[in-house]
Amino acid sequence: MPLPGPLWLIMTLLLLTFLLHLLAMNLTVGGTAMAVVCKLRRKSDSFADRLAGDLLRILPFSLAFTITLGVAALLFVQVLYGNLLYASSILIGAFWIAVIPMLILAYYGLYYSKSHANHSWVLGLSLVLMLAIGFIYVNNFTLMLTPQRWLEMYRQSTSGVNLNWHEATLAPRYLHFMLGACAIVGLVVFTAGVWKRSTEYGQWMLRSGLQWFVVPTVLNYLVGIWFVMALPRNVLLDLFAGDVVGASLLGLGMLLPLGAVAHVLLAQRSAKPYLHARLAIAATLLTFVVMVSLRQVLRTIYVAAFAGLRNLPVAPQWSVIGLFLLVFVAGLVTVYVMLKKIRPSQGQSALGASAR
Amino acid sequence: MNYPFWQLSFPGGLLIAFVAVVHVFISHFAVGGGAYLVLLERKANRENDAGLREYVRRHAKFFALLTLVAGALTGVGIWFTIGLVSPEATSSLIHTFVWGWAIEWVFFFVEITAALIYAYGWDRMDRAAHMAVGWVYFVAAWASLAIINGILTYMLTPGRWLQTHAFWSGFFNPTYWPSLTVRTGMAVVLAGMFGLVTGLRVAPPTRERVIRYAGIWVLLGLAFLAMPARWYFADFPPQAHSYFIVVLPAMRRVIDLGVAAAMLGFVLVAVFAVARPDWLRAPAVAVVLVCGFAIMAAGEYSREFARKPFAIGSYIYSNDLRVANFDRYDSSGFARNAKWLDRESADQWSQGKQIFAIECGACHSVDGYRAMTPRVRGWSPEFAADILQHLPALRGTMPPFAGNEHDRAAVGEYLASLAPVTEETGAPSAGLGREVFLHRCSMCHTVQGKFQPLDLAGSDADSIDGMLQQLDSLNPEMPPFHGTERQRKALAMFLQSGAHQ
Repeated sequence: MPLPGPLWLIMTLLLLTFLLHLLAMNLTVGGTAMAVVCKLRRKSDSFADRLAGDLLRILPFSLAFTITLGVAALLFVQVLYGNLLYASSILIGAFWIAVIPMLILAYYGLYYSKSHANHSWVLGLSLVLMLAIGFIYVNNFTLMLTPQRWLEMYRQSTSGVNLNWHEATLAPRYLHFMLGACAIVGLVVFTAGVWKRSTEYGQWMLRSGLQWFVVPTVLNYLVGIWFVMALPRNVLLDLFAGDVVGASLLGLGMLLPLGAVAHVLLAQRSAKPYLHARLAIAATLLTFVVMVSLRQVLRTIYVAAFAGLRNLPVAPQWSVIGLFLLVFVAGLVTVYVMLKKIRPSQGQSALGASAR
Repeated sequence: MNYPFWQLSFPGGLLIAFVAVVHVFISHFAVGGGAYLVLLERKANRENDAGLREYVRRHAKFFALLTLVAGALTGVGIWFTIGLVSPEATSSLIHTFVWGWAIEWVFFFVEITAALIYAYGWDRMDRAAHMAVGWVYFVAAWASLAIINGILTYMLTPGRWLQTHAFWSGFFNPTYWPSLTVRTGMAVVLAGMFGLVTGLRVAPPTRERVIRYAGIWVLLGLAFLAMPARWYFADFPPQAHSYFIVVLPAMRRVIDLGVAAAMLGFVLVAVFAVARPDWLRAPAVAVVLVCGFAIMAAGEYSREFARKPFAIGSYIYSNDLRVANFDRYDSSGFARNAKWLDRESADQWSQGKQIFAIECGACHSVDGYRAMTPRVRGWSPEFAADILQHLPALRGTMPPFAGNEHDRAAVGEYLASLAPVTEETGAPSAGLGREVFLHRCSMCHTVQGKFQPLDLAGSDADSIDGMLQQLDSLNPEMPPFHGTERQRKALAMFLQSGAHQ
């Protein structure tokens, strides 16, 4: 079947929606993890209790956007890689379909926790479910790249009770994502702390956010090395030797987080904390762009032997593409206008203020 | 077959059905409920009714909680299930309609943002802006319905897309407008039904106003639905009409159930919501909701069934096999083309079992839903292999068998092993003949019924017996008679007696 649009357009939309999905996912999963830890500490630390409440105020919304953006990415990845993804999804089908009820439970768990502060175990359950969903996703998206494993897996179970245990990159990849989630929510809380640093709560958020950002980011260097070393030989060779783009991305991906960490540490002691905080955010966002691109470069290398995208026939549906772009712009404008109509409230949460 | 078959203990189509019906039950409410909320809010503002305004605010929270979580995620659930059960058809739909889905996605994005702002921004916006956000929600929600409607109706009636393969021919297809009208009507009905749910917990006098308002929405919606539903049904593919009217009494019963649920719902709402709202209690609301669910389920089930034997009309069959690939399957063999078949287990029975799973498992289980075991009672492997050449003649709902005689022999051996019958002793009798008719002929023929009747009452038993020995030369659609002479003579006796089934 021909591609219904130019490859560059579909790929750009895929990477863009995936990037936004990752950001929202990091805030959601990291935020839930942080809220759980805060809940565990709330008896001894009233600020922890307060942060848990502030996080819970936004978590259901960030999950809503995680899902919405994820659906968009899922749509485009099916156009480009459906022939691989459908097969891998079926091979782990029992787990893949379980994502839906798990996500419904996790989502309702967040809403429940918002209004039942004493039932922390529900929040813990939501976190466990989210972590499990992430694990299933990593299984699927690595399995789709290794068709040589499929037949044997199908013999093990035709009912989809399989996981991609033999994948060497499974554990480092999963850890890399989850540590990253903790780092991102740390950065958000840190930034909120910077903006409120004249208050005690702000100072507390600044310190707490810094720890949550710096420690996982440093750990992620070790995990990242593990990840790279776990890649198949030929993929690694192609990455470094074959493609200057891949190697440059990896280099940038290692330097940028250092810059982000540096700016976060500087912001803590500097006279210009806002500037450093903004630079840290910029460096982190750039890291995301680099990592998402690197991931795609890796995927292209993996599938080059059996599923090259460049040779697919293209039959663009220009009228519908044009309509989509028009509706997209109109949608963005509508959302912007709606958001502008909201009056800032008096007793606003620290996180809400810093989002401006 | 390019993809592995997902083996469940029941046909995968049922899983899609379950997730999808739950989704449409909530999502049609999500569409109608949007207009419901804003219109009620406007009413509350105009009449300066603080109690009513407070009700709308609470209903909006309930709305957000139900539609944004369970509603949205069961929608994603449909994505997941169709990819697992029918990946080939899903891939085809994606390649044809991805930009339509992308447009629908923009509307989802706007919808979700608007819903969250509407539900949580009551005190943070001026009234005109808040209502405007509500209208934005409704327009986006209805637009997303208008888009998915195009894709869903294309599957039933692809129309000119089959020749042009153009997006717009597929999108604006023969059943697009009637379906959109019916779904909009159901959105109104469900908005009212769910309005009753939250209306129960309101204090008087607002309670009566709210319940009556909800009840009127239900009555208007149900009354409106009758004509568009007939219009929609009239535009179904031609063979679908025969399914409902002649061939499949079970389908007839499903439609009757839907109509009965509509009538019961109408009466309950007319009495307990509109005429005497003070009588309304939770059990009545529960029954009304069940009626709403039954209407939706009956409608969706009928629509899905009407599409048989296709998943995408005239293009991809219900078992996910492309029409265009059948020449290849029939000439070089299905087993050879099925990439996921375990060829190491070379025995014919295992091959047959696997081919059965791939070609038939989407709709049939062995024991359970649409079970094969009762259907193949007393079949010999040769008879089974022969019947596989005539599948479309069986009520018209089945795809043809894909494969050559080797594949048919394999599946024949497998099917015959499921429910073998031991041969009786003694003289042939009409009773035995009845058994033979049931096992060998009744899937295509009735004796004196509506479908392909064999009314041979009064004919000479010997001449019927002679006919039975030349079935395939009498009619190319017919398999030859497979069975012993005793069984054949018994069948002739049964047919001669013209016994009612």
